[in-house]
Formats: sequence, structure tokens, C-alpha cells
Amino acid sequence: MKNKKEAIKIALYGMDERACKTMAMYLKGPCKGIAVVTNEVNADIDLIDADYSKAKELLDERKSVTPDRPLILLSLEEVLIEGTFFVKKPIEIEALVAAIKQATSGSIKKTKPIAKKEEKELEKTAEIETTETIEPPVVEKKKAATKHVDSEEVKKTSKHRTAKDLTESKFSAYMGHIEGVDFSDPEHLLKASFNAKEYFFGYVQSALNVCKAKGRILQLNSGWKPLLIFPQSQEVWLDADDKQLRAFAGLSIKKNASKGMSLSPIEKSTVKANEKMENFYDSDYFLWKLAVWTSKGRYPDVIDINKPVYLKQWPNFTRLLVTPHSMRIAALLVREPRTAMSIANALKIKPQYVFVFISAANSLGLVGQAKRQSDVLIAPAKVKASKAKGLLSRILGRLRG
Amino acid sequence: MSQYKIIFTGPVGAGKTTAIDSISDEPPIKTDASATDMTKSRKAETTVAMDYGVMNLDDGEKIHLYGTPGQERFNFMWDILTVGGIGLILLLDNTRADPFQDLHFFLDSFGDFISDTSVAIGVTQMDLSSKPSIEDYHKQLQETDLKPAVFSVDARVKNDVSLLVQALLFSLDPGLEDE
Repeated sequence: MKNKKEAIKIALYGMDERACKTMAMYLKGPCKGIAVVTNEVNADIDLIDADYSKAKELLDERKSVTPDRPLILLSLEEVLIEGTFFVKKPIEIEALVAAIKQATSGSIKKTKPIAKKEEKELEKTAEIETTETIEPPVVEKKKAATKHVDSEEVKKTSKHRTAKDLTESKFSAYMGHIEGVDFSDPEHLLKASFNAKEYFFGYVQSALNVCKAKGRILQLNSGWKPLLIFPQSQEVWLDADDKQLRAFAGLSIKKNASKGMSLSPIEKSTVKANEKMENFYDSDYFLWKLAVWTSKGRYPDVIDINKPVYLKQWPNFTRLLVTPHSMRIAALLVREPRTAMSIANALKIKPQYVFVFISAANSLGLVGQAKRQSDVLIAPAKVKASKAKGLLSRILGRLRG
Repeated sequence: MSQYKIIFTGPVGAGKTTAIDSISDEPPIKTDASATDMTKSRKAETTVAMDYGVMNLDDGEKIHLYGTPGQERFNFMWDILTVGGIGLILLLDNTRADPFQDLHFFLDSFGDFISDTSVAIGVTQMDLSSKPSIEDYHKQLQETDLKPAVFSVDARVKNDVSLLVQALLFSLDPGLEDE
């Protein structure tokens, strides 16, 4: 590779910004730095895209301003003009490198003066205003094929809304309060579990499973507002706002009342849901939110909180509720199994945030309980700070505003 | 000048330019400048990406946001652009005919860089086409050794892009906190 000091300087003409950047990189990479792109003042060589509409004017200008400077012309069609070097498009490395070397060797190729016919050809090719000098391979045109756009999907705006990202201060108000649990008492903390089956959340989970198994639209009747479940599209429909849903989610449903819960099949033709497309929710988002409002800082009793848990995959956070520290917890748990308390200690956060995250992630089936002996035998590795921790923290701070 | 950068890659039309624009503190360098403008600000020996943005940190440090060209014929640029990179943001267009092919192609192409750093994946245009689902992408990733974040992203929405980049940062260091 040529020493930077020795690199030939080339000024580009008749190319837009993108094409100029392409050329700069092409010269640096495949052409092994034989030349660098510079301004017209400092250049050793001028390179003109002869297919540009005003190529002839540029050529005349360069000949007038810097008559001794070598000129390279790029074109799809062969262009032979006295005192210039020609490289055919799409450019090949060898051809461009050869032209640059020839141009700088001082041996200007003597060509016969351009005939009127050739001049006309230059003007003709110049009418084709191209912005790229490298032609795409055919295979990439196939890749550009797109699918049919789902116009109904576009109307379901609630589904595609960006996530709420809650800070600790906002989260308590959002989550609500649970009576009878003293989160500051470590002993009490480990008993702070909830049974999903005693809440609307549990019924929704079961209904979703039944729906999926049967593959048909069902309506969950709870004595409150009906919840429509669409298994094919993984959606639910509910005509209720967050305030109403949060209130209902926090109610413990007693055994007597649970007898009022039922599932009934619904024919798609009778569904009037189309009237309020904004009431469609992604079922994962709905369940996640319900889990948070049901948990209120507790963990689901199906999880043994003393044993390590792991995360099967990252939750789709942009379309869920981002509870405090949930991304940090997720990043830790996808690496290896840990107990909830070990996570809280490693990240120096309140256990309630870990419990809420586990409740929500478990509702989507993303959490597994470590069963291997080796997972409990050896303590997990300490969270190693990256070497660029300071920098990464500043970037994080900037992103969070 | 700081060399720290975050690389945005993905196929044509996936939203790289738009995503960079969403979080850049300065207007990204436009790639549609008229040809008559291109002689005005040429710098010698400057390597620039197809799309470029910058995040200004409080201490004056700059984080460069580099978008790679999405077409395979420009892959010679990818090695140049990833030097000094903190990590990779891979954006995939869910309306393309075969997004899984795109997924595997870019993960393979940037395999070494990802091994040294990390990757977070954003799937765009899911409001236009909901299939394949995010779950489907995770199933594809089971064939690899990777467990990256995969988020549904609207590249125009700052919060979406921000969360994706945050996921990248946390995957590099879960212990990170705001400074």
C-alpha cells in the first residue's frame, strides 16, 4: 500500500456526494490507497464522470484552468478525447489503477483529435445523468423485491407505538402500590410472590394458550369488558384505557367470582373490532403490561426465587414497557443464569425491579429456571466492567437525555 | 479527534440514514448534494461513510455514527468503516422478500467485528409487514451462537433507535449506568 505521503491526489467532477464517497473508499480499499480524493486546488489528476450532463463544460473548464493536469474520463461508452485517459464504467480496479499510473507517469496517451461524431457521442452520453459509477449486480435487483404492504396493519397504531421507558421515580406511580408487603424487609421480600391464577392476568394467560391451541378467535368474558383474542395475528382487542385496565389488573379475583370467567368463540364476521383499530394490541405487549400491574414488585410463585433463572432471549423492548433497569437485567440474564437477589446485588438495584422484570418476562415464556446442578454449584461471574465503561456510560447518558 | 464510532449496517432501504438522523446531533451529511457542490468541500485523505452523523457527549467527546452502504458490491468499505467501532447496529427491512437471508448475510459479513464487540438488531417496517415476527428472527438466530437484542424499530422514531443503541451498550456492559 502506498504511503499516505506518496498517494496521488485526485479531484472528482460530475459526481454527487455519494458517488464521491464511493470513489474515495474504492481508492483506499480495493485500489490499495494509490490515490486519495482532494479538492481541485491540490489535485494531481482530475477525474470526470463523462456521463454527467455537464461533462463537456467541466472538461473545457479543466483544460482551461489546469491545462497541464492529467485528465481521466469515466464513461459507460468509450470516449476518446486527445490528452485524456479513459476508464470504462463499471470501473474495474486494474483499469483505474493503470489509468492513474499512466496519468502520473507523464506519458499522456496521444489520441487522434476528437471527431465531430465522437464529440456528439460525448454530449449524447452526457445526457445520461448518472450518480453512480459502479453498476449493481443483477442478484441485488432480485433482493429489492418487496412484499405486499398490509394496509390494515398500518391502522393498528397502538401496536407500533414506541415503548414507554420508565425511570424509577415514574415507575412507582405507574406500577401502583401493593398492601401487606414490606419490601425493605429481606425476609418479607423473599415471600413477596403472587399467584397469577388469582388475577385477571392469569385468566388472560390461560385464554391465550387455549386460543393458540384451538387456532380460533375467542372472547374472554370476565364480568368486566370483553377481551377479544386473535391467535393468528397474536393480537388482543380491548376497549379500555390504561387507568381502567390497571385498576382491574390489581383486583384479586376470588374463587366465586372466577366462575363468571368464560371463553366463547367468536366468528370473525361478527367482530366489530374494525370500528376501533387503535384498540388492537400486540398480545405480548398486553400480557407484559398486565404482568407488571399484577406484580407490583412481587415475583410469580411459579418461579423458585432462590434458584437461578435465565433469559431465553431479549424481550422486544421497543414495543413493551421498559421498566427501570430492565435492559441491564436482560443483558445480564441472557449471558448466564442468576438468582434474583444476585442480579439485584450485581447491579445495585432494588429487588422489586428484578421481580417485576421476571414477572413480565415470564409471562411471555422468556424466563427459564436453571435446573442443572452446575448452575447452582458455582457462583456466577462478577459483572466485569468494560474497558470503555466511562465512554459507554456517557453515551448512555446522552441517549437518555 | 475521537475515533469512537457506532456502525449502522443493513440492506438498502432498511433505514440506516433515517436511524442515524434520528439520534444525530448534527444534520447527517447529505448524499444527494448536487454535483456542482461536490468540489467545494473536498478534504484530502478523508475516509467517510455513506451516511454519517455524530453524537456530542457532555465532555466534548464525539461519537461518530457511520452508516455503511447496504449493497454487497460496496463490501470493500465495511472493513474500513469498522476500525475503531464500539459495536454494530444491524437494521433489517421486514418488507424485503427474504429478511432472513439479509440477517445471515450481514451477521456473517461482520462476524469478526461482532465477535470483538457486539451487535443489536432492529427490524424496520413491521407496521407495513408484521411477518416474519420478532420471534421468528430469534428462531433463526438459534442457528448461530449469538443472542443479540432484536427489536421492532421505526427508524424515524428517536426513542426506538435510542433503545436499540442502549441495548447494544448494555450487551457490552450490563453494569452500565448513566453518568
